[in-house]
Amino acid sequence: MRINQELLIGLKPIYNTITFEIKKQRKKFFAFLVLIIMVSIAIAVITGFVLPDTKLDFFFTSLFFIIFLEDFAACLFFSAIICSEFDKKTGYIVFPKINKYKLILGKYLGNLILVITLITSYYIILGLLGLFYYGGETSIRLFYSYLIALLYLSTLSSFVTFFSSFLKSVNGTIIITFILLLLGFLMIDQIIALIFAEKFEPLYSLAFLGNLIVNILADPFPNPRYVKVPFDPMNPDAGSMVQWLTPSIGVGITMLILFTVLFFTLAALLFKRRQL
Amino acid sequence: MSETIIKLENLTKKFGKFTAVNNINLEVRRGEIIGLVGPNGAGKTTTIKMIAKILRPNSGRILIRTNHGDLEDLQKVSATVTQMGFLIDIPEFYKMTAYQLLKYFAKLQNYPKNKINERIDWLLAFFKLTEWKHENVKKFSKGMKQKVGLIQAIIHDPEIIILDEPQTGLDPLARVDIRNGIKALQSQGKTIFVASHMLYEISEICDKIAMINRGAIIGFDTVENLASALKTSEVIFEVLESITPHELEPLLSRLTEKLNPYLDKDLDPSVSKIPIEYYPEEKELKIFYDGNHKSKGEILKILIKEFESDFTVVSYTQEKTSQLERVYTQMVKDNEPEPNIQDVKIKEKKYRLRKGQLKGEIKK
Repeated sequence: MRINQELLIGLKPIYNTITFEIKKQRKKFFAFLVLIIMVSIAIAVITGFVLPDTKLDFFFTSLFFIIFLEDFAACLFFSAIICSEFDKKTGYIVFPKINKYKLILGKYLGNLILVITLITSYYIILGLLGLFYYGGETSIRLFYSYLIALLYLSTLSSFVTFFSSFLKSVNGTIIITFILLLLGFLMIDQIIALIFAEKFEPLYSLAFLGNLIVNILADPFPNPRYVKVPFDPMNPDAGSMVQWLTPSIGVGITMLILFTVLFFTLAALLFKRRQL
Repeated sequence: MSETIIKLENLTKKFGKFTAVNNINLEVRRGEIIGLVGPNGAGKTTTIKMIAKILRPNSGRILIRTNHGDLEDLQKVSATVTQMGFLIDIPEFYKMTAYQLLKYFAKLQNYPKNKINERIDWLLAFFKLTEWKHENVKKFSKGMKQKVGLIQAIIHDPEIIILDEPQTGLDPLARVDIRNGIKALQSQGKTIFVASHMLYEISEICDKIAMINRGAIIGFDTVENLASALKTSEVIFEVLESITPHELEPLLSRLTEKLNPYLDKDLDPSVSKIPIEYYPEEKELKIFYDGNHKSKGEILKILIKEFESDFTVVSYTQEKTSQLERVYTQMVKDNEPEPNIQDVKIKEKKYRLRKGQLKGEIKK
C-alpha cells in the first residue's frame, strides 16, 4: 500500500509535465491537424476523380503521406526535448524542481501522445474514406500498418531525441534531423545500392524501414523485396540499378525496436553527461 | 544562536584543469541572509549550481537540514529539495503565460493544489504583475521576467531561498522592487543566500557576507566585522553650513589635531591622502578613523562640543558599500597569488627577445 503511494508520488511530476507539455505544444498540434485535414480533403477529391481498383490500393497510395507526416512531426515535436533546456537555459528553472530524467520523460510522453493522436486521426480519416468509397469491412492490414506506423514513430522520436541530447540548438536539431530523414538516408541508400546492388539490404536506413508501413498493405507481400530499375528503359544492355522496396516484416520490426533502444540509450548517456 | 541549515564542507568543482570552486567551507544559519560576493567568474554561480544539484561537486559535500531535523548529504536526500527555492542566472521560461508557468512550478513542488491559485494571485499582486497574469512571458521585459523568476523560486513557500544575481541588468525601480521582495521574505524568517557582484544591493540586505575570489572564500562575516579587520573605516558627517574655502584649511588642521587619536594612522593613499576630507557640494565631512566603534562615538562628541561655533552636525552615516568595496579590494589583493618567478623569467626573456636585446648576448 505504502509502496503504491510512493510510486504515485514519484509519478506525479511526470504526469504534471505531460499535461503541461501538451498545453505548451497545442498550437503546433492544431497546425498539424489542419494539415492532415487538408491532405485528407485533397485525397477525397482526387479519389473522387480517379478511384483506385481496390480498397487496399487506395490505402497504399494514400499512406505515403504518413511517412512524411511522421518525419516532419518527429523533427518538430521531439527536437526540443533535451537541447532546449540547455540552449534556452530553461533548465536553470526546472532542474532544481524535478528530477531531470522525469522531466525529459514527461516531455517525451506529452509529445508522443500528441503525435500518436495526429497519426491516429489520419488513419481514422483514411478508414472512413475507404468505407465511404468502397464499403464493406476495413482490412486488418490497415491496422497492422497503423501499429508499424506507431513503432516507426517511436524509432524516429528516439532518433531525434538522440540528436537533441548533444546538439546545441533546437533549430539545429530540427534542420539536421529533417535533412537526414528526408534526404540523407535516401542518398546513402542510392549510393549503397549502386555499389552492392541486391547483396546489401539497407537495414541501417530509417527511411527504408519506414517503407514497411505502406508495403505491409501489399497483397501478396513483395517478393523479391527489391526491383531492378534500368538506367535506360529503351536499352536493356545499359544496365540497371537495384531499388529496395521494403524490409521483411520480422526483420523490419526487429530493426525498428533495436534502433529505438539504441538511440534512447545513447541519448540517456549523453544527457547524463551534459551540464548546464 | 540558530541552527545551521546549510553547510558546505570542502566543496570543490573543477572543469578540466580549471578549478572553479576551491575547497569552500561555509555555514548558513536559519533566518540569516548571506551574501556571496565576488567578481564575474569567481565561482558564485558554480557554488549555487552545486547546491541546486545542477552540478555535481568533484569533492566535498553539501549538508542540508532535512525535515527529520538532521544535517544530511544533499546528494543522498530526495532527488529535488522542496524546502529550497532557486533563481539561477537570468531566468528564461517556456513560452507560456505567467499563470500557466507558475501553476506548473507549484505542482512540481507539491504545493497544495487547492491553494495554488490563491498563492499565485498573492505573489503576482505583491510584485505588481497581476494584470500580466494571462500574458505570455515572451512579451515580458527583463525586469518582469526577473520578478517571475523570483516568484517561481518562492511559489512553494520554501524555507531556504537561493538567488543568483537577482538584480543584475535591472533598472533602479525594478531593483527596488526585488530588494523589497527579498526584505519581505527576510521578515517572514526565511533563510536567504544571495550571490551578486552588486555590493550596494548586498550590503543593504545581507546579515553576513562571504567574499569569494578565484573559487575560494576569502572572508566571511558581517560588513562591520569585515571592515574592522581592515582597521580602517570611514564615517560621513553632514553639516548645516557651508564651509568657505578660506575657512577650510585652518579648520581641517584643527580637526586633524583634535581627532588625531582616533584617525586612521596607516591610511591607504589609494583610498585618500588625508584622513579628513570636505565635500562642499554635499556639505559633508568624510573622516577615516581607526575602525574602533568607540572612536566613532568620540569623534561625534568632539565635533559637536568643540566645533559648535564652526558648524552644526545634522547627521552622520557610514556607507556600507564603500566600506565593502574597500574590504573586498583589500582581501582580493591579499589573496592574489605570488607571481611565479619562473613565469616572470620566461616573460622577461620573451620581452627581451622581441626587443632584440638577447641576440647580442647569445652571440657573445
